[in-house]
Amino acid sequence: MTALLHIWSGYLRLVDRWPSVGSIVPFLPLIALWWLVTTLEVFPRVFLPGPLDVWKSFLSLTYKGILPEYLQDSIVRLAVGAFWGIALGIPLGLLIGLSKRAYTALWPPLLFFQAIGDIAWLPILVIWFGYGLVTMTFVIVYTVIFPVVLNTVLGVRSIPVNMQRAALSLGASKLQVLWEVVLPGALPNIVTGLRNGLGYGWRALIAAEIIVGTSGIGFMMFDARRAGSVVEILLGMIILGILWYIVDSWILAPIERATGQRWGLVTK
Amino acid sequence: MKSLTLKNLSKTYFDLYAGTNVTAVHDVSLEVPAGEFVSIVGPSGCGKSTILNMIAGFLSITGGDILVGGTPVKGPGRDRGVVFQNFALFPWRTVLENVAFGPKMRGVPKDEREAIAHEYLALAKLTEAAQRFPNELSGGMQQRVGVMRALANEPDILLMDEPFASVDAQTRMTLQEELTRIWQEKKPTVIFITHDVPEAVFLGNRVVVLTKGRVLADIPVDLPRPRAWDVLHEDDTFKALSGRVLQLVRSA
Repeated sequence: MTALLHIWSGYLRLVDRWPSVGSIVPFLPLIALWWLVTTLEVFPRVFLPGPLDVWKSFLSLTYKGILPEYLQDSIVRLAVGAFWGIALGIPLGLLIGLSKRAYTALWPPLLFFQAIGDIAWLPILVIWFGYGLVTMTFVIVYTVIFPVVLNTVLGVRSIPVNMQRAALSLGASKLQVLWEVVLPGALPNIVTGLRNGLGYGWRALIAAEIIVGTSGIGFMMFDARRAGSVVEILLGMIILGILWYIVDSWILAPIERATGQRWGLVTK
Repeated sequence: MKSLTLKNLSKTYFDLYAGTNVTAVHDVSLEVPAGEFVSIVGPSGCGKSTILNMIAGFLSITGGDILVGGTPVKGPGRDRGVVFQNFALFPWRTVLENVAFGPKMRGVPKDEREAIAHEYLALAKLTEAAQRFPNELSGGMQQRVGVMRALANEPDILLMDEPFASVDAQTRMTLQEELTRIWQEKKPTVIFITHDVPEAVFLGNRVVVLTKGRVLADIPVDLPRPRAWDVLHEDDTFKALSGRVLQLVRSA
């Protein structure tokens, strides 16, 4: 028991010094288990290939240039969709959070459209825009925008009323209050909204690629199904997870630490 | 510095739960000459915070007038600086940036407004804390920043809404002494709201006792300055005045 505790505290110290160790080590038991199951051939190899097969497939697809191209397609689609989702979602959220009239007018339709899931739009989008970037972008914007709007509204509403009063009595104009108080005050919630929104957007993108795609990671996986290549399906799934992990822990989490946590608005 | 005049000030609002009109402030008249320090004291619910919020322009008035230097008040403005009970500092700004906020809003260049802020921080012995964020400071230090943020904007009138109610007793006494010192140096017109009778007497040139939305008494405080707790604790005039005000507050 004490030996285990020693190993654990040693591991914690290691992670403290090299944080990247902490993002790899938890996956080792999973990979080991996967390797064990496939080596013992609990399931036929065709249905469940091992880690080594997937690695080989990764190397060959990268070498052929298919994987980098598809990866780029998916990431560009997500970036374009996320950009518009953020560019529309934050102003809309600020408006609804600040104005009672905007809230009264826009909140009911917002909830109505939120209920119509992104994928439910695909049939009609394909008829309107065909199998292209417009359809994909629409789906991603649609997915990203709701968490961003809802969290921005929440953020605006959670700013103490005295904070705006303080700014006004220090001589701030309405526009200055928006820029100096409302926006930074809502920022921790906006970042949370982005984190959720991009997570949902990433999943929606893969779903869209599976249904309407002609390239991208989702398309690769669905195409592999047609060819009966389980290796490539697994590879696609793993890439999805790794990519999101990178986006979340290298981009979004640091933003969260630099804002809300630094200011004491969010507990660490 | 400017004078403050309240003329037959009233505030009536509709209480949604009771379903009736409630009068929080009833025909209050008050004349505060420029550079005077007035304490307004009263039990909770006496309307003292409502009056302050109306002077600040945060609440609309339903009767009477509020004049600052003879001009009627219309909404919040930089001529009336406010110090809040819960500090209301901007958590995303450093202490220095908080104090420089007012000058920034009227377009004072960065170097200049930071010089102003440093000057006021020095006044409250906060120079060391300039680059820290508010959440890294103790309550007492946060409120020092709150007072300096209001003063650095050079308001005509300083409005203080129970500013020391949420700091511990020892810190509160230090802050009170500091406030009297700073007031003597800068001589702003101050309206200080509190429910703490000794505090009201210790700080003010005058103590206005408020009960049920009306002025009950207006008592001059003729204690020498600078004021210090060590001296006033044993002072007979201070004790007599505090006793009298306390009686008035409790009689309501």
